[in-house]
Amino acid sequence: MSPQQLESAACQISANRGLTFAGRVGAGAFKETYKVVDSFGDAFALKIYRPGFPAERTQREIEAMQRCSHLGIAKLVTLAKLQWQGTTVLYSLEEFIPGGTLSRRLTTSLLSPNETIALGAKLIDAVDHIAAQNLVHRDLKPDNIMFRQDGTTPVIVDFGIVRDLTNSSLTGSWQVSGPGTPFFSSPEQLRNDKNLIDWRSDQFSLGVVLALSALGFHPYADQGLSDVEVVQRVADRRSQTDPFKAAAKQVGLPVLVDMTAPWPVERIRTPRELATEWARQQRQK
Amino acid sequence: MPAYHQMGHDSENLLFADGLERYSGAILSPINYEEARVALQIERAREARDFDTVFDPQLYYPRTERGVLREWDYFPDDFDTADLSSSQWWSTLCQRLRDTCVRLRPSAVCSPAIVPATYSDDYFATTLQVGNDFVSLLAGTDISPIQTVIVSYAELSNPTRVRTIASIVSQAKAARVFLVLTGETEPRRELTDTEQLKGAMKLISLLEGARLPVVVGFCSSDVILWKAAGASFCSTGKFFNLRRFTRARFEEPAAGGGQLPYWFEESLYAFVRESDILRIRPHGLIDGTLERNPFAMEIIRRLEANPGQAWIALGWRQYLCWFADFEERVANGSISPGRLLQSAEAAWIQLSDNDVLMEEVRNDGSWLRPWRRAVAEFRSL
Repeated sequence: MSPQQLESAACQISANRGLTFAGRVGAGAFKETYKVVDSFGDAFALKIYRPGFPAERTQREIEAMQRCSHLGIAKLVTLAKLQWQGTTVLYSLEEFIPGGTLSRRLTTSLLSPNETIALGAKLIDAVDHIAAQNLVHRDLKPDNIMFRQDGTTPVIVDFGIVRDLTNSSLTGSWQVSGPGTPFFSSPEQLRNDKNLIDWRSDQFSLGVVLALSALGFHPYADQGLSDVEVVQRVADRRSQTDPFKAAAKQVGLPVLVDMTAPWPVERIRTPRELATEWARQQRQK
Repeated sequence: MPAYHQMGHDSENLLFADGLERYSGAILSPINYEEARVALQIERAREARDFDTVFDPQLYYPRTERGVLREWDYFPDDFDTADLSSSQWWSTLCQRLRDTCVRLRPSAVCSPAIVPATYSDDYFATTLQVGNDFVSLLAGTDISPIQTVIVSYAELSNPTRVRTIASIVSQAKAARVFLVLTGETEPRRELTDTEQLKGAMKLISLLEGARLPVVVGFCSSDVILWKAAGASFCSTGKFFNLRRFTRARFEEPAAGGGQLPYWFEESLYAFVRESDILRIRPHGLIDGTLERNPFAMEIIRRLEANPGQAWIALGWRQYLCWFADFEERVANGSISPGRLLQSAEAAWIQLSDNDVLMEEVRNDGSWLRPWRRAVAEFRSL
C-alpha cells in the first residue's frame, strides 16, 4: 500500500471509531503511525501495519505490550482489523506520548549527572517491569524512549523485536547476528548468542543510552574509531575504553561500567540490584 | 561460611558426632537412604539451631547404580528411556520432587539435573530453565530452591567458555548454586590441569561476583582452591578423602570407598597412609594442627599404643574435622590458601631432600605447583 492509501485507511479508521485524524507522526519498518484524538481531547497513536509485516513478530509485539502495565511503557489500547479496499488492514491504538524522544532532547545538550540519575532510575524501573514479564525489549535506544507531557517521565516504545523468554525464539540460530540496533546492542545480540539473551541485554543497551546521555559517547568508543568499529569492539567483547571508565567515575556514574560489561555475568544480575546500585550513586554524590 | 556434610553410605552416625559440630548443613542422599530415614535425619537436624538440610535428588546419571533411589516417589519410572529434552517430562519430575520435598520439609532442595553427553549452551540453558521452573513450583513453601549446575573440568579450560557458562548459570532465579565439577580423576589422584582448575575457580568467582552464592559439592582437599576463588560453601563426605565426582563413582558398589585408613596432613596438604605418619612425624610435620583435631590426637595415641590397629573410621573423622576447621579458618582469613600451598610445597621439597618418600608412588606433592599457579593466576583469566 502506498503512503496515501495508508493515510486514507487511517482516516477511515478514525471516522469508524469516532476519532479525529490529526496527521502522520512517523514510520517504522513495518508500520505507519498517525495521531488521532478522541471526543474528550485525549490523543492516541494509531499504528497501521503495512501488508507483508512479519505476523509472528507482530503477534509477539502485541502480546508483550498487553502483558505490560507500567507508566514507563507505552500502553496498548486496542488492536483491530479494517477491511479496506479488498485487503485486511491490521492496526493498533496506543496512548500518544507527546513529549518527544530522548534523541531529540540530546540534540540540544547532554543531560547533567543528576538528570541522568533521575532518568536512569525511571527507565530501570520500566526495564524491571519488562523483565518481570519474561520479556527482553532488545531495542532500547534514544529513538525508542519518549517522554510524557511532564517532560520528565520516560516511556519505552516499540516492542517490535521483543524476545519472549517463555516462547521459542523467532531468530534463526544460523544468523550471524540477532535483531537489534547494532550501535546499542549487547555483544550477545550482535553475536546471536541466543542462550545468553536475557534482561541483562536490555541492561547493556540502557547503559549505552545513559552513557550517551551523560557523557556524549559510547562506552566502547575511542578516538578515531568509527561507529562500525565501535560496534565491532562490542561484538568482540573487548573491554570498555579507559576514557569511558574514567569519565563515568568522574561524573559519579560508575554503575554504567557494570551495566555495559561485555559478558552478562559481569553486569548486575537482577533489576532490583541494579535499581539499588543506581540509587546508591545519588547518595554518594 | 561453614562447611556442609555430604551424606553417603552409612554416614548418619557422623552427622552430629562429637567433634564434627562445626558443619552447618548436610546434603542429604536419596541414594543411600529411603524417604523415612531422610525424614528422620531432617527431623533431627531441625533440633539443631540454624542447621541447613539440603535435599539433592541425585539424578545425575541415568542407567547407573542407584541404591534405593528407585524407591523414591519422584524417581521417574521411565528414567532410562525418557526423552530428556522434553520440557513436559521435566515438569512432571519437578512437580513430583516438589511433592516429596513438601512432605520431607528440608530447608533447601537442589533442582534436578543430569550429567550430559556434551556440555552445550543448550544443555545449560535447559538446566537453568528446569531450575527456574522449579523455583516457581516451590513458591509458597518454606523450602529454599538451589540451582544445580554440573560442569566438566574439561569444559573449563577455555576462558571464553567459562564466561559463557557463567552468563547462562547466572540467569538462575534460585538463591544459590550447587556446583558439581565432574572429571575422570582416578581415586587417590589429585587434579593437576592448571587451566581447568583456573577455569573452575573463575567460574566460582564470577558467580559469587554476581551475588549468586556457590555451594561446591563433592569437595575433597581441593576445597582450598574453591575457597580461594570465593565459594561461599563447600561440602564433603567421608568418602571424598579418596574419590571425586566421576561416572565410575556411581558405578561402584554403594558401600565402596576403600578400606585403607588415610590421614589428611595439612602441612603437606596431602592424604598420607599410616606408615607415612610415622615417617614424617620426626620431621615436625604432624604435630602442628593436632590440638585442633581430637580425632588426629586419638589416631596418634592409638598408633603409639597399638600400632597396626585399624583406624579407618577415625581417619574419616580426622578428615571431616579438618575440613570443617580448615573451611572456617580460610573463611575468617586466619590462613591464606596461597601461603599454605607454598608452605606445603616447601615441606615436600624438604622431605624429598631428606629422602623421605611416601608409601604411594604418586604421593609426592607434585600437584601443588599447578594448584599454586591456579590460585595465583585465576583472577587474570
